[in-house]
Amino acid sequence: MNIRADHVAGAGFIAFGLLVIALSGDLPFGNLSMPGAGFLPILVSILLIAFGVILVARARESQPFGNIRWDDAKHAGLVIVITGVSIALYERLGFIITMMMMMIGLLVIIERRNVVRALIYSAGVCLVTYIAFEYVLSTPLAESPFGF
Amino acid sequence: MTTFDSLLHGFSVAMQLDNVWYAFLGCVVGTLVGVLPGIGPLSGISILLPVTYGLNATQAVIMLAGIYYGSQYGGSTTSILMRIPGEASSVMTCIDGYAMAQRGRAGAALCIAAVGSWIAGTFGVVVLTVVAPPLATLALRFGPPEYTSLLVLGLIFLAYMSSTSLVRTLLMAALGLMFGMIGIDNMTGHFRYSFDLNELGDGIGIVPVAVGLFGLGEILSTPSINVTGEVIAPKFRDLLPSRKEWREAAMPIARGSLLGFIVGIIPGSAHVISSFLSYALEKKVSRHPEQFGKGAVAGVAGPESANNAASTGAFVPMLALGIPTSPITAVLIGALMIHGVSVGPGLVNDHPDVFWGFVASMYVGNLMLLALNLPLVSVFVTVLRIPYAYLYPLIIMFCILGVYAVNNSIVDVWIMLIMGMLGYILRKFEFDPAPLVLGLVISPIFEQSLRQSLIMSNGYWTIFFQRPIAAGLLAVSAALLCLSALSFVMKRKDWRDTLAQVEAGEEKAS
Repeated sequence: MNIRADHVAGAGFIAFGLLVIALSGDLPFGNLSMPGAGFLPILVSILLIAFGVILVARARESQPFGNIRWDDAKHAGLVIVITGVSIALYERLGFIITMMMMMIGLLVIIERRNVVRALIYSAGVCLVTYIAFEYVLSTPLAESPFGF
Repeated sequence: MTTFDSLLHGFSVAMQLDNVWYAFLGCVVGTLVGVLPGIGPLSGISILLPVTYGLNATQAVIMLAGIYYGSQYGGSTTSILMRIPGEASSVMTCIDGYAMAQRGRAGAALCIAAVGSWIAGTFGVVVLTVVAPPLATLALRFGPPEYTSLLVLGLIFLAYMSSTSLVRTLLMAALGLMFGMIGIDNMTGHFRYSFDLNELGDGIGIVPVAVGLFGLGEILSTPSINVTGEVIAPKFRDLLPSRKEWREAAMPIARGSLLGFIVGIIPGSAHVISSFLSYALEKKVSRHPEQFGKGAVAGVAGPESANNAASTGAFVPMLALGIPTSPITAVLIGALMIHGVSVGPGLVNDHPDVFWGFVASMYVGNLMLLALNLPLVSVFVTVLRIPYAYLYPLIIMFCILGVYAVNNSIVDVWIMLIMGMLGYILRKFEFDPAPLVLGLVISPIFEQSLRQSLIMSNGYWTIFFQRPIAAGLLAVSAALLCLSALSFVMKRKDWRDTLAQVEAGEEKAS
């Protein structure tokens, strides 16, 4: 059988619906005159499963799974990793240091830009943003252990 | 107090110097958000939401709404000069706007788009002024069954109007509803799917989800080598259209304004749909349909007017009923709630300063945008010349900053990253993430009104058919489902298929 995009997507939604039902075990369903906390989640999970089944049943209308282009996956993966590392460090190192590191990482590792230019651009942008938010807009940003 | 007196009171609020300043700021930022590809009004508003914490409710909503309708103006600039829709609703403008630019009429196209947007925006505000207060009075008669039925109609209408299939849209909405149920159940106090994380007790916020799906998700699927930086720069003296072009634009602007406002009231991504419907209408009524695609003035004037009127129309259900009909109005409602203003039928009487100040500020804002967009077009063109490779790290920084600042919660930022990945995958499988955000937004209201309705009726579903307004709304929902099923059974291609083809074509072009 030729696997289509909607076979995969539909199966994903069915699995998600089943997972939610499994996780809802300790939530009271209640009854129609007094619906409980698990009432709507179960109904929506059933809907998700039903729509997933329809998607699988009509999968012939979708493109073959192999035709989905993943040529941007490397770019996406690198952005996710660099952003993820920055989020992990954000509260520890504060706004200026983390965001500068993230921007330099994105510009140098992904975009292959000149390190010095990337450094100047990142430092400038981060400092201007920090001043604008901290002093002009009075919106405090995450601080580093060095107090900025 | 008559509507006119109330509006005058609104102007006295909107014309205060600080309110004018925030309207101006919103309009400038909105235009930039519209101009820049990869950052739409939803992510723009979400990112700047924390900035409004220091403002009062009126200032906050004036600024955020300015970003929304400002982005509709700005979106046309990239469409006309680069054939890249800066904003989803500008997809149709790409076709004839860019063709006009290639013929050396970029300035005229920009001017027609700006004037059309202004007329439509102002028309929308006038109708909003007249329609919203009586609708709010009517809405006071709404109980939980009516709200449940209205929300069901909203979801079904969104699915019906969507360019992707009914099932795909409802799937996304159901997923959004599911995400909206994470956290403490308001009626029983049970923790649902929070996995012992205190931060998830309050549920998943709209901002991390919206910024992740639309802001980060777009960046993940757009490598910089795919973004072209070619811009056709118009000369200032070429900005004025000829007399013939004005004549050709007049009726499409009028039709687009009316059509856009009506579509705007209906739930869904109204501004996108309205611009497409307007384009289709103009092509149908034109004496020279063969000119469409080759630089027809009506192909710019109609859709640009329609998307602006629709963005104003979307404020009607928001202000009168307190119901978000799009993710953007949902974020605006959230912004008002942060400031202690509950949006709904009581808003007109309980917070006249906010309601009428906001309405009046839109008159002022539309005028500002007309003044801004034409003379400053060269400035916005300069912004477009910033290489995308330098632009997207900046956008990611603002995504993190904006999401974190809402609750000072790093969990929200992680949610944003996860939603970004989800958005990337959903795009690969041709799912539109907008219904997911709408589902997330209406989830708490929907669940509460559904359960209250059932409790009221002692468990009888028939309550939805015994009350005339609720029954009427459900009848419309059923009719839409039947229409959708009919076109599926008859395998008939309609305007939604054409919209999907156009969107796919523009994506490839950009």
